[in-house]
Amino acid sequence: MAIADPAAVTMNLPRRDARDKLLGRTRFTVDRKLPRMLHAAILRSEAASARIVKIDVTRAKQMPGVRAIALAEDAPGMHGIGIADHPLFASDVIRFYGEQIAAVAADTYEQAQAALRAIEVELEPLPAVLTMAEALAPGARLIHPGWKNYEVLFEGGARGGNVAWEATVIRGDIDAAFARDDVVVVESCFRVGRQNHVSLEPRAVIATYEDGRYHIETSTQVPWTVRNQTAKLLGVPASQVHVTVPPVGGAFGQKFDCTLEPYAAILARKAGLPVRLVYSRQEEMLTCLCRENAEIKMRSAVTREGDIVGREAVVLMDCGAYGGEQIFLTTMTAHTLMGNYKLGSVKAATRAVYTNTAPNGAFRACNGVYNTFALERHTDEICEAIGMDPLEFRRRNVLGDGDLGATGQVFEGDVLGPMLDRMAAMREKSPPKKDLADDRLYGRATVVGTWFVFVGPSAATINLNADGSATLITAGVEIGQGTMVQALPQIVAHELGIHPDDVIVRNADTDAAGFDLGVGGGRTTVSVGAASKAAAAVVRQKILETASELLQTRPEGLVLRNGRVELAGVEGSGMTIAKVVQRAHQVTGPVVGSGSFTNPGVAAMPGCAAGHFIDAIDIPVFNVHDCEVAVDPETGHVEILSYKVVQDVGRALNPRAIHGQIQGGVTQGIGYALHEEHTIGEDGCIRQNSLETYRVPLALDTLAIEIDLYEGAPSIGPLGVKGAGEVPVMNPPAAIACAVANATACRIQQTPLTPPRVLGYLLGREPAVELPHIADNWWDNVLMKRPS
Amino acid sequence: MPTSLMINGERRTSNRDPMTPLIDVLRDEFLLTGAKSVCREGVCGACTVHLDGRLAVSCLVPIGTVEGKDVRTVESLAMAGELSPLQQVMEQHDVVQCGMCFPGILMTLTSFFQAQPNAGRDEIKAALVGNICRCTGYERLVDAAVTLTKRS
Repeated sequence: MAIADPAAVTMNLPRRDARDKLLGRTRFTVDRKLPRMLHAAILRSEAASARIVKIDVTRAKQMPGVRAIALAEDAPGMHGIGIADHPLFASDVIRFYGEQIAAVAADTYEQAQAALRAIEVELEPLPAVLTMAEALAPGARLIHPGWKNYEVLFEGGARGGNVAWEATVIRGDIDAAFARDDVVVVESCFRVGRQNHVSLEPRAVIATYEDGRYHIETSTQVPWTVRNQTAKLLGVPASQVHVTVPPVGGAFGQKFDCTLEPYAAILARKAGLPVRLVYSRQEEMLTCLCRENAEIKMRSAVTREGDIVGREAVVLMDCGAYGGEQIFLTTMTAHTLMGNYKLGSVKAATRAVYTNTAPNGAFRACNGVYNTFALERHTDEICEAIGMDPLEFRRRNVLGDGDLGATGQVFEGDVLGPMLDRMAAMREKSPPKKDLADDRLYGRATVVGTWFVFVGPSAATINLNADGSATLITAGVEIGQGTMVQALPQIVAHELGIHPDDVIVRNADTDAAGFDLGVGGGRTTVSVGAASKAAAAVVRQKILETASELLQTRPEGLVLRNGRVELAGVEGSGMTIAKVVQRAHQVTGPVVGSGSFTNPGVAAMPGCAAGHFIDAIDIPVFNVHDCEVAVDPETGHVEILSYKVVQDVGRALNPRAIHGQIQGGVTQGIGYALHEEHTIGEDGCIRQNSLETYRVPLALDTLAIEIDLYEGAPSIGPLGVKGAGEVPVMNPPAAIACAVANATACRIQQTPLTPPRVLGYLLGREPAVELPHIADNWWDNVLMKRPS
Repeated sequence: MPTSLMINGERRTSNRDPMTPLIDVLRDEFLLTGAKSVCREGVCGACTVHLDGRLAVSCLVPIGTVEGKDVRTVESLAMAGELSPLQQVMEQHDVVQCGMCFPGILMTLTSFFQAQPNAGRDEIKAALVGNICRCTGYERLVDAAVTLTKRS
C-alpha cells in the first residue's frame, strides 16, 4: 500500500471556528441557557484556618427563590492526584480562605447570593500556616492531621507532616563529585510567586439530572476527569455522569482538573432542575489553581573546563491546602531543573508542601517555567564563577544524541545544539538593539529549556459517511489552541485522502468518545492525533479492501487522494470514496474505525527516581530563547528590546497558528517575569482580587516575537509533530532574568522583576533569598532514608 | 421602570431594574451573548459596545441611564451578512484563538478606525490598551489590523 505522502498535508488550515468567534455567535458555556435554569452560588470561608462549630441553613432554606442547598454530607467522596485528600466542602475544618462551605441554587443569582448570607456559620479560629517555611518548621501545626488515612491513588511518593508528596532522583556518586579537588561549587537560591491564568471565560458549568444520570456541560480541558472525579466525590457510579464540552474561552491549565462541576451536579439533582454555576472574577482571582509559588536551592560541582560533574537541588512547591496537581508536578523537576545539560551525577528532591492557602494547580508548562528560570540563572552564576562564556558553556553541555538525562533516560538526536546554532544565525541577521537603550542599562541573554509532551491514553472513532465525509469522535476539547479545528482534521484527511474540510470533528462528549487524558501538556496533537490517525488507518484499510474488489486491483496498487480511490499513478482513475462507502453499506456495512494511543514508554535507569509519575519523558520539547533588555536605573523599569525564539516543533502543520501560540505564550511568560504575581495577606487571603490589582500584559506591553521553527527532531507524534502550544511560556522568565542580571550586574533570584524590585536590586536594598529552611545537607531535607 | 432603547437598529424595551448593568440586559434579557462579561469592573474591555457611537464598557453602564440611546454590539458588525473588513482581516490572518476577547476588540477597533482610518501600528496598539487578551499576545492581531489601514 502506498505510504501517505507527508507533503500532501494541507498546510495552514484556516480555523473553522474563527468566523463565529468574530461574529460573536460562538456559544461558550457562559453563553448557554436552559429552560427553568437555576443559578448557583457558593458560600466560602473568610478564614484561612478554623474549626467549624456550626452550619445552620434553616433560615437560608426559607429565602425567596431558593430551590436547593448542598453541604458536605452531599459529597461523601474525596478527590486528588496521587492522594485523595480533598473534600468537595469543608465539614469539620477550614483549610484556606475561600474554601467552599455550602452551595445554593435559586431562581436568580441574586437570590442565591442572598441565601448564602442567610446561612449561619460559626467558626473557631485556628492558627494558620501560611508559608512553606512555617509548614516545614519543627513542631508545625499539621494541616492534614489525618494524612496517613487518606486513600493513596498512586504509589511511591514519600509523605509526612505537611509534606503532601516528595519525589526524589539520585543518579551517580554525587558525594564523590562534590569532594573532587578540581571542581568549583556554585550554590544558588531562588523564589517565585504565584501566577493566575486569567482565562477570560471563568470556570463555568450547567448541570442537569435526567433519566437517572447527571449531564454536565462545562468549560473544561478534561471531560473524562470531570466525569470520574464527580462520580467519586458524589459516591455514584461513573457511568451515571455524562460530560459534554462547548468551546472553551481560555484555560491554560486552569481547567485541567474537576473543580466546580460537582456542586452544580448535586444541586441539579436536589432541585430537579438545570443549574448554572459560573465563578465570579473575584472567585477566579482568589481560588484560581495558580502556578504555585516555589523556593529552590541548588548546588553544582563544575570543573574549570566547564563539565558539570554533580548537581543537587531541593525544590519546595506550595500546593496550598490540598495536594492537587503539585503532587504530580514534583515529577517534573527531574526533567526541567535537572534537564537541558549533561550531568555527571544528580540528587534532587521536590516536595509539595501543604499551607493554609488556596490550592494551586496546573498552568501552561507548570513548574518548568520557574525551574528553567532557576536553572538558567544558576548556569550563568556558574559561568561567572569559572569565567566561561555563557553561550560556550551551553553549547558544551546541552544534551545531545545518546546523552543521559537526570533519571538516566537516553536522549535521542542532537537537537539543542543545532537549535543554538540557529539562534546564533538569527542573532547575526538582526543587529543588536543596544542603541534603543539610550542611557539605560543594556543586557542580553540566550537561554535553553526542556519540556515534554504529556502523552498517555487517547481514543478516536471515525465514521466514514456515504457522502465521502468523515466524522471524527474524540474527547478532545478546543480551548483556543486550534488542534480540534486544524491539526486533527489535517491528520485524518491526510490518511484518508480527503480534504480537511470534509472531516467533521465532534465536540467532546464522554457518552460518545472513549477515554482521554485531556487537553494539556501539549498532548492533543500528539495523543489525540495519534489515536485519530490509527482510527483513520483502519478506515483506510476498509476502503481499500472494498475498492479493490470493485476496481479489480490489489489494495497495494491503490491510493487515496482528492476524495477518490485511484490506481496508483493514474490521476482521476478509479472512483470516489463516497461510492466505495455506498458499496460497503451493501457488502460489509457502514465504514467505521477506531484507534487508540498511550505512552510508548521510554525507559529510565532503574532505581534512579522515586515518587515520580513519569520516570522518563517520551517526547522532549526544546526551546532556545534570546532577549535584549533595557533597565531604567532611575525607576527599575525593564523594557524588552527584542525577543527571539527557536522552538522545536517536530513538524509544523500550521506555522501561522504556531506563531500565534509562541507570540501568546511568550507574552504570558513576560507577564510572569515582569509584573504578574499573587501575594498572600496575613489573613491568608490572596491580595490581588481583580484585574485592576493583578496586572496582565496589555497591548502596549508586548513586542513582536522573532520566530524560527526548528523541524526534524525525533518525534513519535503523527507526521512527526510535537505539541507547540505549551512550551513558549517556559523560557521568558529565564531569558529576561538573565538579561536583567547581565544589564545590572545584580544577582537576580526572584520574579517578577517589577520596577520596585529591580530598583531594590540596583540600590542594594533587595534582601538576598537565602532559604534557611532548606538545610545545607541535602539528606536533612528529605523523608526518604539515606541508604546505609 | 422600563427602559426603551435602540439595540443594533431595533427598538427594545428592558424591564430590568434601572441599576442593572447594560451587559446583563444584553446577554440575559435579549440573548445577545457576543459581548462578554469578564471582569465586571470596566478593566478588561470584553463587554465593549458602542453607545451613541462612542465606546462604552457595558458592565459599568446602568440600563436606566441609556433611555432612548443607540447601542451597537458585535452582532451588528456583519449586519448585511458579510463580515466587516475588520472581521475579514482577523479571519484571513488566522489570529483568533479562544475568541472571548474579540467581540470587545472588534468594537474598539471599529470605532477607532472610524475616527482614524489611516492610523499607524503604534496608534492601533495604544487604542487596544483597554482590551485584555490572554491568548494572542496582541501583535498578530495588530498586524492584521495594520493591513486594513494600508488597504484603505
